[in-house]
Amino acid sequence: MDSSILSPESKPSTSGSSHDKKNALSGSSLKSPRRSHNSESDHDNNESESPDKSKNKSPARVKQSPSQDRKRKAETDEEIKAKHAKQEEERLKMQVLVSNFSEDQLNRYEMFRRAAFPKASIKRLMQSITGTTISPNVVIAMAGIAKVFVGEVVEEALDVLEQWGETGPIQPRHIREAVRVLRDKNVVPNSKKKKVTFT
Amino acid sequence: MAEADKDQFEDDDNEEDVHIETKRKKIFSKELRCMMYGFGDDQNPYTESVDLIEDLVIEYITEMTKKAIEVGRPGRISVEDIIFLIRKDPKKYSRVKELLTMSEELRKARKAFDEIKYATTK
Repeated sequence: MDSSILSPESKPSTSGSSHDKKNALSGSSLKSPRRSHNSESDHDNNESESPDKSKNKSPARVKQSPSQDRKRKAETDEEIKAKHAKQEEERLKMQVLVSNFSEDQLNRYEMFRRAAFPKASIKRLMQSITGTTISPNVVIAMAGIAKVFVGEVVEEALDVLEQWGETGPIQPRHIREAVRVLRDKNVVPNSKKKKVTFT
Repeated sequence: MAEADKDQFEDDDNEEDVHIETKRKKIFSKELRCMMYGFGDDQNPYTESVDLIEDLVIEYITEMTKKAIEVGRPGRISVEDIIFLIRKDPKKYSRVKELLTMSEELRKARKAFDEIKYATTK
């Protein structure tokens, strides 16, 4: 099966995509995944559990009365409904936005959605580093993270370009300045600098 | 001609600040160009910029992989390790969650589709 057609990014109406090139909805979409961590039921769980799993408590949890359990479940149900409603609203907003794009903007948006790192190359790279086999989910995750990384660097480089009052394609010095700014924000990892505990 | 090359190398060795750069073949050039355009760069980005970003990406993936190999079960990488490393970065974290959810949905849809196909063609 041609996985590129079914790849998640080619779906036209995805909501909650956090790296909007127009920065229009990025504020609200960043908040929605975080909301699930504020609920009580997710408080003690580690972050890798999905909201559906929050109802299956491990037997080691503190005993609570059945009415409190029901109340908590009801809260989670309401929260799930609220989340779905928010996602729907985001999707509609996205549709309206895309329908009003100029041709230029449509081209750029199409490139934004479709461009991706080839999974084979990422898998090959990771296997050459580790020496072990890498499961496909890990490759999917890493390819996605790498794309977000490129987005962050390019957007910061564009900010630097604008700040320096220049125009035109991005030049390596903008990228270097962008990486410097992002390193301070801990977005770009740096393990080469020697870590000193006390100065 | 070989001698002339040797002379050139000797000259290079005598210079101070010799940067010997390993010529790694660029593996992401085509996709990176489209990606940079999508994120806001010019339709034809500079080749030096694309090369620089490719080096950054490879360094990033290498760092993440090295860290992930140490976290969790040492010597293996699982998705939980990646999610653990990413937890402080909201953009990447939500993107990974979204991708994995979507991938699961697609898998279920494909399975359901195959089952229907099997049932109807039987």
